[in-house]
Order: sequence, then structure tokens, then C-alpha cells
Amino acid sequence: MATWLLRRLAAALAIVFAVVTLSFIAIHLAPGTPFLPGDERAVDPAVVAALRARFGLDQPLPVQFVRYLGALGHGDLGLSFSQRRPVAQALADAVPNTLLLAGTALAVDLLLGLTLGTYQASRARRRVDAAIRAATLTLYSLPVFWLALVLLLVFGERLHWLPVGGIRDPVLSDSAPFAAHLADRLRHLILPALTLGVVGAAGTARYQRAAMLEALNQEFVRAARAKGLSERRVVWLHALRNALLPAITMVGLALPFLLTGAVLVETVFAWPGMGKLTADAIAARDYPVVTATALLASVLVVTGSALADLLYMAADPRVRAPDA
Amino acid sequence: MSGARWFAVLAVIAWSALAALVLRQRFERRGADHRGPGRRFVRARGTLIAVGILVFFATVALVAPLLTPYRPSLQLDIVRLQNAPPSWGHPLGTDLYSRDTWSRIAYGARVSLSVGTLAMLLAATLGALVGAAAGYFRRWTDAVLMRLVDVGLAIPRIFILLVAAALTTHLPLATLVLMLGLTSWFATSRLVRAEVLSIRERDFVASARALGGGAWRVIFRHVLPNVAAPLIVSMALGIAQVMLLEAALSFLGVGVQPPTPSWGNMIAEGRDQLATAPWTTIFPGLAIVLVVMALNTVADALRDALDPRQETP
Amino acid sequence: MRIATWVFLLFLTLGATASSGGGRVDCAGDYCGTLLILGIGQPTSLLPPVTDQKLDSDIFDQIFLKLADIGPAGSTLGDSGFEPLLAQRWRWADPLTLVFSLDPRARWQDGRPVRARDVAFSFAAYTDSTVVSPYRASLRHIAAVVARDSLTVAFAFRDRYPEMFYDAVYHMRILPEHLLSAVPRSQWTTAAFGRAPVGDGPYRLVAWKEGESLELAADSTFFLGRPHIRRLIWRFATDFSAAVTQLVAGEADALQVLLSPTNVARARAAAQLALYPYSGTVYSYLGYNLRANGDSTRPHPLFGDPDVRRALILATDRAAMAQSVFAGTAKVPPAPIPQAWSWLWLPELTVPPYDTLQASRILERRGWRDTDGDGIRDHNGVRLSFHLMVPVTSGSRRMYARLIQEQLRAIGAEVVIDEVDAGAFSERSRAGTFDTAIQSWSADPSPSSGVAQLWETGGGSNYGHYADPAFDSLVERAVSAPDRAGAIDAWRRAFQTLNQDAPAIVLNAADNVAALHRRVTHVRIRPDAWAALIRTWRIAPDQLIDRDRAER
Repeated sequence: MATWLLRRLAAALAIVFAVVTLSFIAIHLAPGTPFLPGDERAVDPAVVAALRARFGLDQPLPVQFVRYLGALGHGDLGLSFSQRRPVAQALADAVPNTLLLAGTALAVDLLLGLTLGTYQASRARRRVDAAIRAATLTLYSLPVFWLALVLLLVFGERLHWLPVGGIRDPVLSDSAPFAAHLADRLRHLILPALTLGVVGAAGTARYQRAAMLEALNQEFVRAARAKGLSERRVVWLHALRNALLPAITMVGLALPFLLTGAVLVETVFAWPGMGKLTADAIAARDYPVVTATALLASVLVVTGSALADLLYMAADPRVRAPDA
Repeated sequence: MSGARWFAVLAVIAWSALAALVLRQRFERRGADHRGPGRRFVRARGTLIAVGILVFFATVALVAPLLTPYRPSLQLDIVRLQNAPPSWGHPLGTDLYSRDTWSRIAYGARVSLSVGTLAMLLAATLGALVGAAAGYFRRWTDAVLMRLVDVGLAIPRIFILLVAAALTTHLPLATLVLMLGLTSWFATSRLVRAEVLSIRERDFVASARALGGGAWRVIFRHVLPNVAAPLIVSMALGIAQVMLLEAALSFLGVGVQPPTPSWGNMIAEGRDQLATAPWTTIFPGLAIVLVVMALNTVADALRDALDPRQETP
Repeated sequence: MRIATWVFLLFLTLGATASSGGGRVDCAGDYCGTLLILGIGQPTSLLPPVTDQKLDSDIFDQIFLKLADIGPAGSTLGDSGFEPLLAQRWRWADPLTLVFSLDPRARWQDGRPVRARDVAFSFAAYTDSTVVSPYRASLRHIAAVVARDSLTVAFAFRDRYPEMFYDAVYHMRILPEHLLSAVPRSQWTTAAFGRAPVGDGPYRLVAWKEGESLELAADSTFFLGRPHIRRLIWRFATDFSAAVTQLVAGEADALQVLLSPTNVARARAAAQLALYPYSGTVYSYLGYNLRANGDSTRPHPLFGDPDVRRALILATDRAAMAQSVFAGTAKVPPAPIPQAWSWLWLPELTVPPYDTLQASRILERRGWRDTDGDGIRDHNGVRLSFHLMVPVTSGSRRMYARLIQEQLRAIGAEVVIDEVDAGAFSERSRAGTFDTAIQSWSADPSPSSGVAQLWETGGGSNYGHYADPAFDSLVERAVSAPDRAGAIDAWRRAFQTLNQDAPAIVLNAADNVAALHRRVTHVRIRPDAWAALIRTWRIAPDQLIDRDRAER
């Protein structure tokens, strides 16, 4: 076990290093330069050149890379070119927003998906099952940003039930009661979380149905039924517990992708999270932010997959440390 | 749109339905004798409709000029025919540049389907080769290749693609296909590797090696054919994934370049008009959804048919 | 069953608490209201010398004051017509020395009075190369700024020209010396002061939620008059589409420009909005690269020939395109001149007509004929085919590219559109690696810097390598003309020369149309800085909505 962990750690470090190096090189090679005015104004090349020098961009690339690594060793992620403040602060502002969105979306995903999948398995091959299968197939096939746009149009613009984007109401005063703040945040959270969660739930439901069907074929289920337990208990208590494993391990793998891959939803709903930060940084050639988010993303992914493997091993005694 | 073209469109619909039914007939006949995979394939619910949809769009892509009254980039009347709602002359309306939406969907089918298929083929080939090499040769080859795959899987694809797009100042279709293909092979290689690991222990492989075949010869003639089943399933899913990815990229501003229509960049262009002229976004979105649904259904059915041990989710 | 109960209870709570807006204060009188303004993108810094982004200056102009500002007429010549701000009055001690007397009532937010030392300090900072200020070049004619006593400051110029006063007052916002002298100048671009500025203006910064919103509160003791609107909140949207959606849905009060006819239509359809058209400062043109793509030593094979350039202008229906893209909110200017320079839209400058027949004739005469029947003209083996570069971020320019592509196809020219991201667009423009590109410029109130930078030989933004010494000397004459009439005459001749040379297809000079909530009154918008006069706007006490009543 210990050797397995060590090997995983070494591999993880290698991966993270490779990702950071690749993204550093790639974004520096991209044509275009940071510090350009966002609106259509005449560019003073002297100003751009001076800013580049100020941030050390006039050095040769290997020198910049070594300096970057050195700073990283001290825990310094650099200064953001577009936000003119430390990258760590920019991340600190963006990450909680994404965690909120991703966490809620994941909750919706799991709750809805697991329930649907289990329900489908308990009514397997009947009309309800077929109907839900068709529904999940449709949801699974929708482009996420298209769903987001349509939901925004219907619920935000046409019906005015929910706000059209943003994370909270800027007018709401700080002295308002907590309940009002909570309600405001929830109202802004519903559409983006639903968009991400529902599409994810469709996928989860499909897997869960398969897992449940397999579990329901097992000996212990027949034994439980023979003992006289109600069908509902058999399905929802005993079988589900055994079929939960694949779903749980999925959490370990899904979280990192939700965190950095939700670019589309964050863009449509103007949600100031990691995905939007990354996309904006790439467009604005904000090098330090791009490499920092690549670093963060790769750390999350390797951690997530290691966690998923650990959970799987802990939960299923048949599985031992796989050849990493 | 002229009567002749309406007739042509109906003819294509009829042909798609016919093709799906004929397929069922042929497999059913064979199935009656062999109870083979074909029968299970077409028996699966909804597969017929899915096949029909795919045939329809593939045909539309092939014979687009016969079905559309206008070139996809023709601006009919930029002052008076902007964002015109669906009518007899323009069954799916016109867009912001007064171009006929139906024509753009038909030609867009060419681009979206071919980009999806070509990128998927590239990804599948690369993934199969890498996975087979890793699974067959093991030890160092396996370790190195799988680390590479881990690096590739460690970053979300959108991120890689955005950075890759930023590297070029000009994005022709070939480059886009290359980019999509080169970033989509990682999961496939894992899949193939897992299969190869189990297959290589089987008797027929051992005997082929004993007979003195070169390693790659053994891989191509004996190992890979047995990996075909899950690979084909992942290929069908792969096209769907790439099509969705292309749509997402176009939405973000990098992707198929104008005036070439692709379903993804049609949605992106219509976004501002969503409230006032929804047909410009809804129809390309619908096209994507239908094709992706059809591909997913076909993949499920294939999985059912080719590997009866696994119940399709 | 139980799950359903929980969900139901949750929604009940949501509904009950959603409508309560928190502590309410009944606001009476003329000094109420919260204005929710939409901003596209995000501010980089609120320290004035380090940034010239419009969004940043919209905000920090509420926090910091200039010595004086241009008046509603927008004239930049001479020193009359300017509105005093920090400076109460001024006089010319001699032709090269301008002396300002500061208003003794001016105070910094922390209570300290504004002094002449602050003005001198500001000038030193703006012109310090380590600060890397985009405004530095505009202040090059000023030799020194000296504080004569605590309320008198003198500007010494190097030479005489019509816009001396404009240069002295327009670019610099006065900074607090006692707070900024301790911050090393080399760190000003990333200084914390940029996120927590302390100024002397009508508003002060209260809160900045990164990526979401920024709140300013009115200073009730502001010496030039208490601002009527109590709170200003800027809400940041990612793009125009999202911003207009929020505006139309009633979640915001103000948007500076609507840009496209679709958005104008949506805003018009929203009952709570009023539209305010004002002179635009932006104009767009398709710039030809007169030198070879990527090699500025050779002339461009197509666009080195002025007849080809003129023919393509004639082949484009600019009026119809402007109508299609902007639906009546843009005009086709007679030269690269925005609407804000209305005094330069002279009758002697004429717009070239839309005449495809004439265009074809010119091309034929120059030897461009379709010899191989592919629909595209060619000449000595070279096809009349070229690339047109536009940035993906500009919807209107992308539209123009498609429209132009089709129109030129009709006369046998092939256009390949390159949509590149903003970074690549600027890069390729500067490097000259393009055939044609649609450029869009936001002009200062004064033509002197803008025209030189874009069209003079060797100008910093003259990407197409247009070079005509006759034009250059006319521009110099206009910039240094002693009086208005002389300047106008020189500009006219300069633009006539430019039109004759045809270095670009001038496409449009757009109106700006701002959308504001109906309840906002006394609205004055200055074309060069739409938010400059917000402190004079009002929200009538009998028109308050929920937003206004929520107390901070």
C-alpha cells in the first residue's frame, strides 16, 4: 500500500510538472501580447513594450520559465496582467464560486441521477423505464450551452421568474437578513446548477440503471425477497447500497472536470468562476493566470483520480492496489 | 422553396425510412438462421429511428445542392430579409445576414458530420495504436505511454483546445480536425489497453507468437480484431462527443470559420437573436441533438449486440 | 414522500424570503436612488495614470477630479467652453504659461484639503516612465508643473498650439500626494491603491466584489454640489448579449451603448427603458495593406495600385451595409471621422458612390479580367483574391466582413475571411501580416493625436503603411494652426488628399445609443465620456423602485 501511494505521488508530481510546462510554453508562444487595451483605442507600442519589460516578458523564454518555477517554489503564483493583483487573490475569489456551482450541480446530478437510475431498474423494461430512457437520452445529447441559453431565455427573460445571470444581486444591502441573502444566492444558483446537474444526471442515471440491474440479479437480493422484505426495501436499501460504488467513485473523477470545464455555463450565466477566469485569461494572454489554472486543474485531476481509486479499494475488498 | 425541392426533401425522408426498414429486413433474415448480432441490433428499441435519422442527415449532407435553393453564404437582401421567420419560401427562416437557414443546415451537415467523423477516426486510430502498444508490450512502453495519457487526461479538453486555438492565427478546417482528433484519443487508448491486456493471455495469441510472427503483425492480425467490439462502440460515441465539442468551440469563437456553416457556429451567430429570432439557434441545435441522440442509441444497440454479457445502461 | 415535503418547504422558504429586500429606508427629497450600471468586461485598476480603458475611466472619473473638463460643445481648441472642476479659474501669465487657482473647498476623502502640490505630484507621476502611463505621450508639450503656493499652480509649455489648455486639463486626474508618495512608482501598475482608491470626487468607492460588481456612494459634502443619485453600482457583464438581456429584464438601469439594431429593438420594446442617442466617437474602416503581406519592403501586389483600391470602394454599398448592421444608428462618414468631430463633416468632402459598373470598368482598364472563367478576376497570373481579417470579439465587424465578401464577389473579387481572436488581431495588424483588416477606433475629442497616429507616415497605428508627404504636411499645419478657421481649412484639404489616395474603405461612424431606466431624469451624456456627468443626473423621489429603497 505504501509503495503504491509513493508511486502514485511520484507519478502525480511528474504529471503536474508536465502540464505546467506545456501550458507555460503554449501560452507564451501564442501570437498576440497581453496589455492591449480591451476597447478600440489606438495602441501606443511604447506603453505595451514598457509593461512587458515591467513584468519580465522581454527575457528569453527559458529564463522566464526558470524564474516562474523559482517563484512557484516559494508559493508565489505571480501577478495577473488583467487584474493587476496577485494571481492567488484572483483564484481565491473565483474558486469558491466554482465550488458552489460545481458542488450544487454535483448534488443535483447524484440525487436526480441515482434516484432515476434506481427507479428505472425497479421498473425495468416497462413503459416508465422506456420513457425515462428516452428522456435521459435526449438530455444527454443536448449541447450544454444551448440548454443554458434556452433556459435563460424562458425563465429569465420571458417569465422573469429567475435572474438572468450573475451570482447575486448587487443592490442587496449588507444589512439585509441572512434569509434574504440566502434566497438571493439560491435564486441565482438555480439555473446554472440545474443546467449542469440535469445533463450530468442523465448520464448518471444511465450508469446507475445498469449497476442496479446487475445488483438486483445477485443472490442476496433473492435471499432478501425470500425473507419477505418489501420490494421497496429490497431495491432502495439493500441493492442500492451495493450499486452505489461506481457512482461514488465517479465523484472523484467528475469534480475536477466540473471545476475547470464549466466554461460554457459560466460564460452564459456570467458566473465569475474558474472556467470563466481561464477562458478570459487565455483570450487576454494573461500568462500567470493561465499557468496557475493549469496547475490547479492538474492537481485536482490527479488528486481526484487517486481519491477515486482509494475509495474503490476501500469499499470493495476484492480490489487491491492496481498496477498504477 | 420550389415544389421540386420540397419533393426532393420528402424523397430523402422516405429513402431514410426505407433504408432503416430494409436494414431490419436483411438482419432479420440472417438472424432467423444464426441468431447473430445483427438481429439483436435491430430489435433494440428506437434503433430503427436512430438509423433513419443518421441516414437522413448523411444523405442531406451528400446531396445538399439538390435539396437547397440557395448557396449557404448567399445574402439575399441584407436590408429587408434579415431574420425573417419561417415561411413557404424559407422553411426555416433566414438569419442575421439574410441567408436561408435550411440551406445552411444542409451544408452545415457536411461540415459538422465530416469534422466529427474525421476527427473521431484520427482519435480512434491513435488511441487504438497507443493502447495496443501499451497493452501488448507492457513494462516501459506501457509506463511511458500511460503517463502520457494521464497528462492528456489531466486537463479539461476545452482548456487544451482554447490554448491550441490561440496558437494559430488562421484556423482552416484541416487544422480543426487535427486539433479535435489529437485531443480525443486518451480515453480510447485506456479502453484498448485494458482489452489488449486480457486478450494477450489467450491461447490463440500465444500460439501466434509461437509461430514466430513479428509483434506488430500479431497485434494487427490477432489482437486488434478482437478489440473491435468495444472500439466500434466508442467510435460511435466519439463522433457524438466531437460534434458537441465542435459546437462548443464555435460558440466560444474558435472553430469553423465563416462563411462555412457548421451547426455549432450557426448557434453562436444566432445567440444574440435568441429572443427575437429563435429559429436561427433552435434549428441547428435541434439538428445536433437529433444526430447525437441517434449516435448514442446506435452505440447502445451495438454494445448490446456485440457483447451480450453487458446490459446497456 | 418525505423528500417531496422537504423540497416543498424549501420552495416555500425561498418564495417567502425572496421578496424581502432587507432594511428599507424611506428616502425623501432630491437625493435618493440607486443607479445600476452595466459594464462590459472588468476594470483593471482604479489608479488613473496606469490605465486608459473606458470602463476604468468611467468609474475613476467619479472618484477623482480633473482641473477642468471639456464642455458640452466638445471643443478642444482654446480655453473657453471648458467647465471648471478642481480649478476655480485660470489665466495666461504669458503665451507659454498657464496658471490655475484651485478651489479651496476641495477635499480628499480622508478630510485633507487638495493642494497645488498634489497637481505637481500628479504631473510628475503621469510623466514618469516607470509608471508606464498611456497618457504620458499626450503630456509631452508640457515642460513643467510648479506649485506657486498652496492653491496656485503653473503649467509651463514648450511651444504654442491651439490645444494647450485641453492638454493641460483633460488627461490628468489629480492624485493625493500624501497617500501615493510612499508607493514606489514602479509598482503603481499593481498597487493596492488601484483597488481601494481615495479621491476628491463626487463619489467614493464602498465595495468591489471582484468579477461581479462595484459600488460607489455619493459624497454629500462634495463642494461642487451634492450628487442626486445616492448609490452607483456597476455590474460587470461578460458581453453585450448578456448585458442587454439583463437590462431588458429590468435587472439593471443603464447601458452605455446598444451597438446592434437587434439590441436597440429589444431596448425599445422594454417599457421601462428610455433611449438616448448621442454622437459616437467610434468609426470603422477596412484598411488596405499597401505593402506586401509580411514584407513591408515591397508594395502589395493588389493594393499597391490606387485604382484597385478605389474600384473596390465603389463596389461596396456602404450605405446599405450600415443600414443592415446598425439599422439607422450609423452614418457613412465622408472620411475617417467619427460623429463626435461633427465640425469636420464638411460639405466639400463627398462620400464615393456605390457604382459597380464604374468599379468593373476601372478594374478592366487596369487589366483585371476573368480569363479562366472561375468568377474571379486575374491579371498576369495573380488572382484578385485576398484575406480580410476581423477580430472575433466584434459582432459588427464580423457582419461587415460577410457583407463585403458577398458584394465583392459580385464584381469578381474573392475575399477570404480570417476571424482571429483579439490578441492575434492586434499582433498581425502591427506586424503587417494581413491583406486587409477592418479596424475600429474610438477617437479622443481632439483629431490631432488620432489622425496622426493612424494616417501619418510611420504613425504608431498606421498598420497599412499609408504614406503621403502631402497629407502629412497638411495635418501638421492643421494641428499647429493659430485659429479655428485655419485649422478647419487645413483639415479639409488633408482629408481630401486622403480620400483621393484611398488607403481604406471608410465604413461607418456609429451613433451611440444609451439605454437608461425611465425614472432617471436630467440626463446629460458627453460623447467622449458618457459617465462624466452622472453626478448631475437625478431620480425623482416619486419614481423610486425597489432598487432605490434598499439601504446599504
